[in-house]
Amino acid sequence: MAAGPATAVLALRGVRVAGRGRPRLEDVDLSLAPGERVALLGASGAGKSTLLAVANGLLAPAAGTVLWEGQPPARSRRGRRLQQARIGTLWQDLRLIEELTVQQNLNAARLARWGWPRAVLNLLLPLDTEACAAALRAMDLDPALLEQPVTALSGGQRQRVAMARLLRQEPTLLLADEPLASLDPRLAGELLALLLAQAAAPRALLLSLHRPDLLDGFDRAVGLKDGRVLFDGPVGQVNPDLLADLYGGTPPGAAP
Amino acid sequence: MKPAPPLLMLLPALVLVPLAVLLPPLVHGGGWELIGSFALAAVTPSLDPVVLASLLKGLGVTVGMALLGWAGSLVLGLLLGACSSRTVWRTLTGSALPAELIRRLLALPRAIHELIWGLLLLQLVGLQPAVAVLAIALPFGALVARVLSDLLDALPTTGLEALRAAGAPAPAALLTALGPALLPGVLSYGGYRLECALRSATLLGVFGLGGLGTDLKLTLQSLEFHELWSGLWLLLAVMLALEAGISLLRRRWLVPGRFVLARRGVGERSREMLLALAALVPLCVLVGRALGVDPAALLNWQPLPGLGGGDWAATWALPWPRLVGGTLLLTALAACLAVGLAPLLLLVVAPVGWARQGLRLLWALGRLWPPPLTALLLLFVLQPGVITAALALGFHNLGVLGRLLLESVDATDPAAEEAMACGGSGPRLALLYGRFSALARPYLAYGAYRADVILRESVVVGLVGATGLGSQLLESLSSFAWDQLLALVAVYALLTLAGEDLSDRARHRWLRAA
Repeated sequence: MAAGPATAVLALRGVRVAGRGRPRLEDVDLSLAPGERVALLGASGAGKSTLLAVANGLLAPAAGTVLWEGQPPARSRRGRRLQQARIGTLWQDLRLIEELTVQQNLNAARLARWGWPRAVLNLLLPLDTEACAAALRAMDLDPALLEQPVTALSGGQRQRVAMARLLRQEPTLLLADEPLASLDPRLAGELLALLLAQAAAPRALLLSLHRPDLLDGFDRAVGLKDGRVLFDGPVGQVNPDLLADLYGGTPPGAAP
Repeated sequence: MKPAPPLLMLLPALVLVPLAVLLPPLVHGGGWELIGSFALAAVTPSLDPVVLASLLKGLGVTVGMALLGWAGSLVLGLLLGACSSRTVWRTLTGSALPAELIRRLLALPRAIHELIWGLLLLQLVGLQPAVAVLAIALPFGALVARVLSDLLDALPTTGLEALRAAGAPAPAALLTALGPALLPGVLSYGGYRLECALRSATLLGVFGLGGLGTDLKLTLQSLEFHELWSGLWLLLAVMLALEAGISLLRRRWLVPGRFVLARRGVGERSREMLLALAALVPLCVLVGRALGVDPAALLNWQPLPGLGGGDWAATWALPWPRLVGGTLLLTALAACLAVGLAPLLLLVVAPVGWARQGLRLLWALGRLWPPPLTALLLLFVLQPGVITAALALGFHNLGVLGRLLLESVDATDPAAEEAMACGGSGPRLALLYGRFSALARPYLAYGAYRADVILRESVVVGLVGATGLGSQLLESLSSFAWDQLLALVAVYALLTLAGEDLSDRARHRWLRAA
């Protein structure tokens, strides 16, 4: 990439999304430097998911610009695919492919770079076993799981396999939309620790969160209200008044 | 080395490799300009009012035959289905043995394709509208009976036993305990059968039993492609309207589709369902009147050519291994083409949004266009034989399978595919990994069922010649060789039953592994 070390991993300028079936965004500016860990706060319907959909390229804004590592959306199909490959999204429902093995799932993260022949071969033979085993070990998982179908995994293992797949994509931008919702406290804590640990430079992390009590490991917090950025600053500056304003009086940490 | 599910779906498409080698030598010189003008005529159908009026009349006859044949098959199927249910016999008499016997007997009418029924009845009672109706009703009725009795016997019997223990008479207990649970399944299968009946009525027309099929064949043979396309477009409109109507009712009544991946609640508005069924009776009477169906005329049998002392030596001397081999090869080729091409084409067009609509149209044409007509068209440029026949049969079934595949792609959860695309894998690989993974097993299970249907159907492309049992059967029929005909029908039936057993096993294996 031509981008230098100081280039923002993600930069949104004046982004507007007209709400058609989803919460709108108005004039949003947001920039993530390499190594930065940013938490996105806001009540339901404030536009957190919309913002993340713009950040991962699923949604093109009606106005404003989005730059990934200093580049606008690539024009060529191949360029676009490679750009998307550098954006890693951790989905709330993990979105593992249930009918495939762990190894095939991990390799699925390489498809943007691999192209057809290896993609088809991956459905036939175990490919890149070493790299896949390393990815599992990095997540404290037994490499013997590679041969297992995804359906055979426990909830915690699924989470870690999804993280391993995410990292095998070698993204510079990590995105996660409410990854901790619907998890029990132990699994939630584990997952958050994994995410924060992986977000070292040149990688950056943007994560939407319902629970301000979990802000400790983050560098910055961004508060959204009615589609606008209400607050953008160090985590230390987040105080009860601000939270009351963001959540419109509902006590923070309450169910969505 | 075990192929993963999404790859398994594409494996049958490997049949394209031998086809690519075998096809070029089959191409003979001329005929391309005919194919060209046929294709061009698609956009310039004849709008002559006289032509349209005659086509509409034919279409009316075809639709009427389909409706009556279908309704007949439902009545027949309900009766025979109840008669071949183990639960029913056990409740009424205490023994399930008669059910087993009737089940075995019904295998025969089921194994014989409606075209063979039609041609046999035609010889027996002469050309009349009732022939096509009966030709559809008999095999379809046996098919409905099998599905119905399977459904019946799969229902839990606790409710029934409770009613019996409380002193309810057997028939009333059966109707109360099993009837309501049965209705959604019967309606779903019945709806699918109506679509089949329309296709069959068109096909029977091609073989001279009246209706639009006859017009289509005549216009093709006299190279009146503009008129041919007018008929095709009309038929397409009717078929698509019927399919849309049936799927609308399925959704409204929440009855399961033919190819279900996600089970939802089943059966709503059962009073409405019963009313709709009741409304069919006066409708069928009216249609029967309009078509001039006269059941009494079915009793006027024509004198048969003497059956006694047939030439069994000549029958025995038929090249049986070659005939059976040809039929099996034809079935395998057509089944692989249909099963493998549907997902392959879907992958090829994945990046282009509108191309899916194009495929939808192509598949609709495949469903509606009777295979013997495709075969005749192919003969303009190809030599007759198994491969030509397989192409025609494969195209038709591709239409059926492609529609099911696309419907189920639309009905499954897009999350995994979206996640793949978001990670940059491109639309084709996202479809292959993200959607086909979940669809592969039920799709292949349906493919196994379809292969059995194709085996039964292989007779309809017999007119291409040299296709095995099918072409021999049509030949024996036209030369009134009753002994040969009897032997051929028997062999066909045996093959179909063996195929049915095989495809049932394959299907259960696929669905159990899921």
